[in-house]
Formats: sequence, structure tokens, C-alpha cells
Amino acid sequence: MKLEIRNLKKSFGDTEVLHGISFTVESGTALGLLGRNGAGKTTTIRILMDVFKGNGGIILLDGKPFDPRKHQIGYLPEERGLYPKKTVSEQLIYLGMLRGLGAKKAKESMKKWLERMGISEYEDRKLETLSKGNQQKVQLAQTLICNPDMIILDEPFSGLDPVNSQILKDVILEQIHEGKLVIFSSHQMSYVEEFCEEIAILNHGEVVLSGDLKEIKREFGKDRLVISSLEETPQELGRRLDDTFSDLLEVEKIRKDSVIVRKKQPENKNRILERLIKQEVDLEFFGMYEPSLNDIFVEKAGDEA
Amino acid sequence: MKQFLTVLKFELNNYFKNKSFLITTVLIALVIAGVIIVPTLIPGLLDNINGSKDAQIVQEEVEESSEQYGIIAPEKVKESLSLFPAKWVDYTDEDAMKEAVEKDEIEAGFILRDNGEVTYIVNNLGMGDSNIMEQFRQCVLAYEKEQYLLEKGLTPEEIHQSERAFVTVTPEVLGKNSVNNFWYTYVLVFVVYFLILFYGQMIAVSVTTEKSNRAIEILVTSVNSNSLIFGKVLAGALAGIIQTVIILGTGFAAYMAVGEAWGGILDRLFDIPSRVLIAFGVFGILSYLLYAFIYGMLGALVSKTEDISKSSSPVTLIYVVSFLVAMFGLNVSDSMLIKVASFIPFTSGNAMFIRISMGSVDTWEILVSLILLAGTCVFTGILAAKIFRFGTLNYGNPIKIMRAIKSIREK
Repeated sequence: MKLEIRNLKKSFGDTEVLHGISFTVESGTALGLLGRNGAGKTTTIRILMDVFKGNGGIILLDGKPFDPRKHQIGYLPEERGLYPKKTVSEQLIYLGMLRGLGAKKAKESMKKWLERMGISEYEDRKLETLSKGNQQKVQLAQTLICNPDMIILDEPFSGLDPVNSQILKDVILEQIHEGKLVIFSSHQMSYVEEFCEEIAILNHGEVVLSGDLKEIKREFGKDRLVISSLEETPQELGRRLDDTFSDLLEVEKIRKDSVIVRKKQPENKNRILERLIKQEVDLEFFGMYEPSLNDIFVEKAGDEA
Repeated sequence: MKQFLTVLKFELNNYFKNKSFLITTVLIALVIAGVIIVPTLIPGLLDNINGSKDAQIVQEEVEESSEQYGIIAPEKVKESLSLFPAKWVDYTDEDAMKEAVEKDEIEAGFILRDNGEVTYIVNNLGMGDSNIMEQFRQCVLAYEKEQYLLEKGLTPEEIHQSERAFVTVTPEVLGKNSVNNFWYTYVLVFVVYFLILFYGQMIAVSVTTEKSNRAIEILVTSVNSNSLIFGKVLAGALAGIIQTVIILGTGFAAYMAVGEAWGGILDRLFDIPSRVLIAFGVFGILSYLLYAFIYGMLGALVSKTEDISKSSSPVTLIYVVSFLVAMFGLNVSDSMLIKVASFIPFTSGNAMFIRISMGSVDTWEILVSLILLAGTCVFTGILAAKIFRFGTLNYGNPIKIMRAIKSIREK
């Protein structure tokens, strides 16, 4: 399956909040939809799920217009909640049946997922009697109960403790390995880095960066070096580089422990190293810059994530 | 359709697993059955009603239980008060009688003045007092008439003879006997009133709860919103109908079993012609569904259950007006007001039912009213589904219904 979102637009009243979102994701991969609060992640997902309509653009699945009701989709919305007064089993079976499962199959699937989440003992308990973490596991069980081909998770890690986050991470990885198409939004970069091959960074309703995460990282680090010295602080080193290396590089960023520079010519690396040695800089580190997703996000989406 | 049935089953289960629903149903059914059956098990309890006791004994009992009234009038007039079943206490002083009334020693007092005027002295004037005053007036009139005839030379025997002549009027009903129809029509109108107000609120709460607990987004992405709102509303409607059938059915069954012991006295409640029952079923259910959809729609416009009563008060008011029109129609079923109301979908459920049950109505009128009501019901159902969908993600302040309709039209 290949899901393509092309030029998606959405306005609320006179305010356009999505200005033409486009990205593509295929089965067996996960796309991380990143962005700050209000960037348009949830709006994009809601249009995708047909909670409301977009004002422009198209969504295609394998080249044909996409109707979420004609496919098995596991959806974990940002505004999530179930029936607090109902037992866990009752509501999971109900939601399974609403998505097309027979009563028997829904029951089997409910048991399977409760076991996988480690909450089988709460099957006959009312949801409101469970801890918040366990309620979130029930939420995830309802997302996956219909064995969906496509899984869409809006901020799945928010509010989860590290143990529950690990369970969720494992489950998502399993689903990816089973060939499911996974889209999830988050601003917790470490999780995205772990299992996303593709990312799309949204900022103010626009995709400011998208594509293969490894490629993006490689591209982002291209022509950049990280330099640090044992004798000089990053600020002092930065000043020296500005003063005496301006023909070879420009200082891009001074970090807490190092300086990031951009080479003016791709082949300048050795010449820069030679000059550093010649100037007797006591090098602590000299190497290619490998940006973290957080660095990329901050650069593309503005403030600290 | 499968989704609709799943929602319907789930929502129905919510009602049937609700303890208060079960207890209320069983309790009311048992009370009704008890009221009908128990008196037949206690010998003599229904004797008064059946009139099997000697009339004289009844008369004595009536006299024994009669209330005390004060009187200031000439002796001769007092003698003629035998038609008034009361214990008379003579007074000569007006103030003494007023004091007795004030102290509740006597129910009320009559003063027959020289000019023939009668003053009725009572603490608080109630609805029943006009009957008492009329009864007293009749007694005084009879006395005056008798005096006049005696003066004209008739003997007391002749006067008595003249009064023995009487005329009975027997109605030959070509249309409907509203006297007989009144009670069961009244009860059935009241049943629909209770169903609409009680279940309407429950349906609104059921819709709002899914918004307030944030389950709504999962639901609307899993199931068609038409299936969802129709399933919810029809489940509420079915639960109400099932509850009514159980309660009324128990009453009917109990009356069928022991009805003879009542000597037909409750036929006014239970001997309902099938035509009236069908009219009640069709118009009652459609009217109930119409209001249920409106309540469901209003439930979707608010996010908190505590906002429901505020949001639903206009529709409750409309239904109360419809109910009051129906109450008026119970007395004047062929009035222009009821005729007009029987074609307006918001009032036709009650009004047309009353016309069918108690008044005269042509078949074409029933059909037109039915089509209008059913059409409005379907239209409201579809509108409710659209508003439900629109209201899904509108959390926060209640949305005004006109704003919701405007937004839907803009789309």
C-alpha cells in the first residue's frame, strides 16, 4: 500500500491552517509527522481520518482516492477516551464489531491484545478503575483490535511512563515488521528516530522538510564539521576560526562543547585540519557532523522542541 | 446496517443493564398489578364500588360521614334541607358561626337573608365549594317553589305528585363517547409525555457523555454517524417502548385476569379499542422519535452533561405547550385549535391521537398528518446526524443550533 497526501489545505473560518501538505508513506514503513504544537499535525491526521474535510488537495491510496471507512485503520486520536463506566472487554468488543469484526473474532482479538499489553486481569473491570497507564494500554488495544492495515497514532507517547512507552514502541515495531503502514505524530524525537524511516516536519501548516530520515541526516551533515579543543572554549575557538579560517569555512553554531562549521568547498576538510595543526590547536575532536533529529527539528521548526 | 445494529444493541444493553431502569420498570409494573389484583383478594373491598350493598346502608354511611355545616335561616327552610347530605348546626349569631368556621368546627356556613340572598361563609374557597353552594341554592329554590305553590292553593300531595314527573335523557352517540374515552386517552397522552421528557433527556445525556469522555472521535472514525445517532436514538426509543409495553401490558394482563371483580369500573382505562391503540402506537412512537432526534441533536451541541438541561429547555418548552394543547383537546376534541395542532408535526402526535380517540376525523386528515409527522421525523433524523457530526469536535461552550445549521448549509 502506498498512501500519498498531496497539497492538503484546510481553513477554519478565514484562517488557513494547512497551506498544502504533501507526503508519502508505504506499507512496512513508519512515517513520523513532526511539528510543534499547532503546526498542523492533528489537523492533517483528522482530514486523513475524515473527521472533517480538507479545503483542497487529495489523498490517494495506491493511486485511488482514499476513503478511510473502506479500510481497516487503527486510529489513536489525540483527544482519546473510552467508556469509563463500561468493562474493558465490553468496549473493546463493541469497537471491534463496529470496525467489522464478528462477535467471536472481536472477543478473540480483545483477549490477544489485552494479553500482549499485559493487562488480561483487567478484562472484566470497569475502565475507570484502571490506572492511567493501563487505560492507555486499553486505548492502544482498541487501536489494534481490528488487525488494521494502516495505523495512525496521534501523539501516542504523550503521558506514558518509560515502561509503557517501551511496550508501545515494541508493539509499533512489531506492526511495522508485519508490513503495516504506520503514521504517527510526535514531538518526542528519540522515539521517532528509533523506528521512522520517513519523516515530515510541519511548521505553521507547511511541510518544511520530508523524506528518508537517513538521507535527511546525511544531507543535513554534508559539508559540516564538528571541532573542539582541549585548551580553548568553544567561544574562543569560534573566534579563532572566524578570524583565521574564513577562506576555508564559516562558523555555523557554537555549542556547549564544540563548534559546528560549514566548509566553503567540499574538499576543504584536509586543508582545515592541516591549518589547525599548523596553528597548534590542541584538538579534542575533529570530524563529520552527524545531526540528531532534534537538531534538524530545531533548525526547521524554530524553537527548542 | 450491521454497524447500526451493533450500536443499537450496545445502547440497548446500556439501558437494560442499568439497575435503576430495571428496578423502575419492575416496581411500577408491580404497583399497577398490585392496585388491580390486591383489592380482589380482600373480600368486601370493592363492594362499595360495585354497589352490591344495600342502598340504605350506603345512605346511612354517607350521612354518618357527612360534614357539618352551619346555618342561619328560618326553621321552615331548614326542614327542606334534607336533600343536602350534611349535618346542620344551627346558629343565631353570624359572628359565632364565623368563629366556628375559623376554628374549623364546621366546614362552612350559610346565612339566608330576608331578601332571599344567601351568604356562604368559608375559610378558604376551594374548587368543590361551588358544588356545595349550588346544592344549597337548589334546596332553597325548591323550598321557595313549594311555598309559592302552597300559596296558590296546591296541596302538599299535589306538589309532590308534580315533582314525581321526570324526564330522562339518554344520549345516542353517532360519533364517539368522550366520557368513556376520556380516561384512557388522558393516560396514554400522559405516557407519551413522560416518555418524551424522560427518555429525551437520557438520549441527550448518552450523546453528550461520548463527547465529554472523548470517545466520540474514535466512534465517528469507526462508524458512520448516521448509524451512530440512529442507533442511539432508536435504542432510547425502543427501551422506552419496551418499558411502556411491560408496564401497561402488566396492567392489561392483571385487569384481564381479575377485571370482572371490578364490575367494569376500570373499563374506562383498560377497554381501549384496537383502533385507538394503533393510533396511539403510530402517532405516539413517531412523535416520540421526532423529539428523541431533537434531544439527540441538542446533546451533540454541548460538551458537558450539565449543559444539557439549559440547551434542551426550548424543546422541552415546545413539548410542554404541545401537552397543554392536548390537555385542552381532551375537553374540546373538535376545536379549531386541535384541528390545526393535529397537522403540525410537533403537536400532531398528541392532537391527532386525541382526535382519533375522542373526536371526528376523516381518513385523509389522518394520512396527511401521518405523512407530515413521518417526513419531519426522517428529516430531523438526518439533520440530527449532520449536527451530531458537526458537533463532534466542537468542545467548549455550547453551540447554538442555528449556528450549527448555518455551518452545515455552508458546507
